[in-house]
Amino acid sequence: MRSQSIYKVPQGKLLKISVEYDEKNNVIRDIRITGDFFAYPEEAIELMEKKLRNTVIEREQLQAKIQSIIAEYHIQFIGVDPEGLTQGILMCKP
Amino acid sequence: MKEQWRLLQTGFNTAFSNMAVDRAILVENSEGKVPPTVRFYGWIPPAISIGYFQSVAEEIDVNACEKLGVDYVRRMTGGGAVFHDKELTYSIVIPEAHPAIPKNILKSYGRICNALLQGLAQLGINGTYAPINDILVDGKKISGNAQTRKANTILQHGTILLDVDVDTMFSLLKVPNEKIKDKLIQDVKQRVTSIQHILGKKIGFEEMVEALKLGFEEEFDVELIQGILTKEEKTLAIQFEKECFSTTQWNHRR
Repeated sequence: MRSQSIYKVPQGKLLKISVEYDEKNNVIRDIRITGDFFAYPEEAIELMEKKLRNTVIEREQLQAKIQSIIAEYHIQFIGVDPEGLTQGILMCKP
Repeated sequence: MKEQWRLLQTGFNTAFSNMAVDRAILVENSEGKVPPTVRFYGWIPPAISIGYFQSVAEEIDVNACEKLGVDYVRRMTGGGAVFHDKELTYSIVIPEAHPAIPKNILKSYGRICNALLQGLAQLGINGTYAPINDILVDGKKISGNAQTRKANTILQHGTILLDVDVDTMFSLLKVPNEKIKDKLIQDVKQRVTSIQHILGKKIGFEEMVEALKLGFEEEFDVELIQGILTKEEKTLAIQFEKECFSTTQWNHRR
C-alpha cells in the first residue's frame, strides 16, 4: 500500500513523505522523502531512503534507525530532525 | 591591502546554464584554481528552480510552465521552489576553511546573509536575517538563500526580489490543496515583498548589483575585482549543463 503525508516540522520546513508499506508486517517497502529542507551532504537522502527499507513503522524503532543512519554517515539536517522524519512517516499510515 | 575576491557579472542566461556555471565555479575553487568568487546573474527565460530534495511533480505545474515559456531546473542546493523572474540572483563560492566563513552551517548562512543586508542598507532598506535561510523587510520575505558544501567548498546562492508577481508565480507552482489556493495566494501576498514595493520605485538590475557588491565588500572587508569565467570553468559549465542540469534524469530524479 502506498500512502503520503505532508508535515510542517515545528520551527522547520515542509516535509512530504511517500511510503509504500507492507500492511501485514507493518514495514516500509519503499520511501521517498521530499521537501524544502536542507541536508548535508545532499546525496545522503537517497541513502537514508534505501536504509529505511524494511524498518518497522513504529515511533521508537523509526527514530532509532534514523538516528543511527545519521550518525553512521555523518549527515546534518537543517529544517528537519529525526523526530520530524519519524512523525512524517507515521502520518502516512491511516 | 584588502583581500581580493573575484566578481563575476554573467548577465542573463537559461536556468540550466546558470546552475551549471555555479557548479563549475565550485569545482574550480575547490581545486584552488580560482579565488573566492561572488557572481551576479539573471534568468532568461524566467524559470522555476526547485530544491535538491523537492519533486518536480509535487511542486511544478509543468504544462503551465510550457504554456508561459518558463523553464524549470533542480538546484544542487536544498530549500524551496523559487520563481526567478523580476529579481537578482547572487552566488558566492568560497573554501570552507576560509576564516571569514563560520564552520557551523547555520552561522555561515547568517554571515553571508549579512552581506545582503549591507547591500540592502545601501538602498536605505533595513532588513533582518530570519533563520534558516530568509531575509525579511518589515517582517516580509524579500530574499531566499540556499547553501551546499562539496569538496570542502561552499556554494551559496540566493535571490533579491526586485518586483514580484504572486499570481503568475502561483499559476506555475502547485499547491497541496486547490481549495485553499486563493487563500494561499493572499497569504503569500502578505508575506512577500520586493524592492519596488518597499521603495515605491523601480530599482534596476545594475543598481542592485552595485549595492550588493558594496554589501559583500563591507561585510567581508574585501575588494571585489571584476573578472571573467576561466576557460576551464566555461568548459565545465557546458558539460554540466549538457550532462546534468538540462536533463530529465536530473530534473525529475525526485
